[in-house]
Amino acid sequence: MSAPAGQIILLSNDGVQVTVDRLVAERSMLIKNMLEDLGDTALETPVPIPNVNESVLKKVIEWCEHHKNDPPTTVDDDSDSRKKTTDIEEWDQKFMQVDQEMLFEIILASNYLDIKPLLDVGCKTVANMIKGKSPEEIRKTFNITNDFTPEEEEQIRRENEWAEDR
Amino acid sequence: LGDLLNLCTSQQLSFVRQYVDPLLKKDPFTSLPNEICLRILSCIDDPKVLARASQVSYRWRELLSDDVTWMKLCAKHDYGRRMSENHVTTPFSTSRPPPNPIQSNYLDQENEAPHHSFPGATPVVPMMQYNSRSFDSATSSNALLRRPKIRSYKSHFKQRYLVETAWRTGGNHIQKHITQDQGVVTSLHLTPNYIVVALDNAKIHVFNTDGSGQKTLQGHVMGVWAMVPWDDTLVSGGCDRDVRVWDMASGNALHTLRGHTSTVRCLKMSDSSTAISGSRDTTLRVWDIKTGLCKNVLVGHQASVRCLEIKGDIVVSGSYDTTARVWSISEGRCLRTLSGHFSQIYAIAFDGTRIATGSLDTSVRIWDPNNGSCQAILQGHTSLVGQLQMRGNTLVTGGSDGSVRVWSLEKMAPIHRLAAHDNSVTSLQFDDTRVVSGGSDGRVKVWDLKSGQLVRELSTPADAVWRVAFEEEKCVIMASRSNRTIMEVWSFSPPDDALY
Repeated sequence: MSAPAGQIILLSNDGVQVTVDRLVAERSMLIKNMLEDLGDTALETPVPIPNVNESVLKKVIEWCEHHKNDPPTTVDDDSDSRKKTTDIEEWDQKFMQVDQEMLFEIILASNYLDIKPLLDVGCKTVANMIKGKSPEEIRKTFNITNDFTPEEEEQIRRENEWAEDR
Repeated sequence: LGDLLNLCTSQQLSFVRQYVDPLLKKDPFTSLPNEICLRILSCIDDPKVLARASQVSYRWRELLSDDVTWMKLCAKHDYGRRMSENHVTTPFSTSRPPPNPIQSNYLDQENEAPHHSFPGATPVVPMMQYNSRSFDSATSSNALLRRPKIRSYKSHFKQRYLVETAWRTGGNHIQKHITQDQGVVTSLHLTPNYIVVALDNAKIHVFNTDGSGQKTLQGHVMGVWAMVPWDDTLVSGGCDRDVRVWDMASGNALHTLRGHTSTVRCLKMSDSSTAISGSRDTTLRVWDIKTGLCKNVLVGHQASVRCLEIKGDIVVSGSYDTTARVWSISEGRCLRTLSGHFSQIYAIAFDGTRIATGSLDTSVRIWDPNNGSCQAILQGHTSLVGQLQMRGNTLVTGGSDGSVRVWSLEKMAPIHRLAAHDNSVTSLQFDDTRVVSGGSDGRVKVWDLKSGQLVRELSTPADAVWRVAFEEEKCVIMASRSNRTIMEVWSFSPPDDALY
C-alpha cells in the first residue's frame, strides 16, 4: 500500500506499519537522508526500520510530532547544549517518564535514527538519575551489583575523596 | 495476568512489587554502547558526581577512567587554557599512555583529535617550582623541584580542581613582619624566582617565592616608588632621583643611573638591557642598564610622568599634564599626544593595539595608538581611577570610589560593577578566572571574573592593604597590621601526595 500525500510508512522490526507525516519523520536524519537518496520511490513502499520495535518507534514518533517545528540543530548547537546543563524542558521530562528499559530503547533508537536532540534528552535524563546519589544509591537505582571487594571499594573511595569536599 | 493481580491482596501486591521493581531496573552502562555511555557522562559537569559514579562497579569505573570525559570536563571548567599559559613543555616528556579501546573508538566516532588540539595532554608538566632552599648561591637557584608528571586529563582536572577549591575555601598562608620601621609598601612583584617588595622607607626586600629568606637591597636614601624585575635583575627608582640596578641573586648594587631631577614615579623594561623611567621632572629616560648609560631623554610632558607601559618599540606614558604620549623608543621621539582627559592621568595600560588611561577626572579612555584617536570614554567611576589592567578584550579598573569595574572592550561597555571596598582600591589584578582586589579598608577580596560574584575574602581584615599580587597557585598580600608591615604569602597548591 502507498501512503497518503505528505506521509510515509515506517516498518518496525516486529513487522508493524506506522504511518507518519514526512515532516515529522524527517526529524530523523537517517530517514531524511534516506528519503533524499531514494527520491519519490520511497513514498511507494514502507521504509523498514530494522533496529526499532513498534512501541519504541511510536514513542519516538510521538516525540518528533511534538518537536516537528523546532529549528534544525547544527553541529555547534549540539555540543553547546550538552555543554550547558542537564536542564530538560517540561514536556520532554514528562515524555521520558517511562521505565528504564523503554528509556534506554529510546536512546538507542534516537542514536540509530540520528535524532540528536532526542538523544540528548535521553542522555540528560540518565545523567539526572545519576546526579546527587551515593554509589550505593546509584546501584539501587539501576539494580547494579557491587562487584568490588571491600578492599577495592575502600581504595577507590580514597582515590575519589578529592572531589567530595567543596 | 491482570485478572490474577486483581485477585491479590495489597500485601501480595506489595510482594509482587518488591519482586518486579528490580526487574524493571537496568544498568544503563551495560545496556548501552560505550559511545552513548560516554555521551551520558559528558552531560555531567560536577566532578563529585563522576567520582561517585566511578565507585559503583567495575564497569562504571572502567568507563569513568576514560579520559575523554575528563578532557571535556577540563574544557567545561576552562582548565585547558590556563594550563597552556602557565606550564612549560619539558624536553624529556614521554608520550601519553596508550589510549584504551573505549577511548579510541569514541574518538573515531567523533572524528576528533583532541590530544593535539588540547594543551593539557601529557607532554606538559606543571609550572616549575623553584626549590627555595637551594636559593643561597646563584648557581643552584636554577635547581628545579618538579612535580610528578601529570599523566591524564583526569589528573590534570584533579590538580586544577584542587587549586580552584583552595582558592575558594582553603589555602595555607604564612605571615611575616618584614621591617622594623612602619614602611609603606609602594610596589610588589612576583617573579618565577622572587617576591620583591619596595617601601617608602628606602628599602627593597627580596624573598624566595614561598616568602622565606630575606635580602635587603640598600642604597636608595629616600622612598622607593617604582621598580621592575627582569630575571635576576631589578631596576628601582624613587624620591632620591636615582635609578638603581641590582642583582637580586647576590643582593649587590650594579649601577646607579643619574639624570632625573625629581622623583622617579614609574619604571618598565623593554628588554633585558633597556629600562625606561618616568619622573616628576616631566621627562622619561631610556637607560642601557648593562652599561649604565642614559640613551635618550623623552621630553614633551608638561607635568609629572605618573605611569608608563611598553610594547615592542613603543612606550606610552600618562602624565599629570592630563595627556598621554606615544613614543618611539629607538627614535627617541614623541609620535603622538593623546589629549582629552580633563585631569591628571594616574594609570595606563597598553597591549600594542589599544591604550587605556585612568584619570582623576573619573573617566577611563580607550585610545588607538596608531592615530591617537579616542575610541571610547568609559564612565562610571565617581572618583580617581588609579588601578587598571587590560587583557584581551577585558579591562578591569579600580578607583578611589572603592569600586572595581569590569569592562568589555568589544562593546566598550561595563560588564560588572563590584562594590569592592569601603575606601580606595589600592591594588588590583585579574586573570581568566578571577579578580583580586585590595583596599585601604584593609580587605582583600577575590571575585569571579565571569559572574562578578564575590568568591571570598582572603585573610582577616588589616588596617590597610597596600598591594596584592597573585599567580596561578599563590597570592601575596602586603598590609599594615597593628602598625606593622606584614607580608602574607598564600599558597593554593595541592599537597604533592594528592597528585598521582
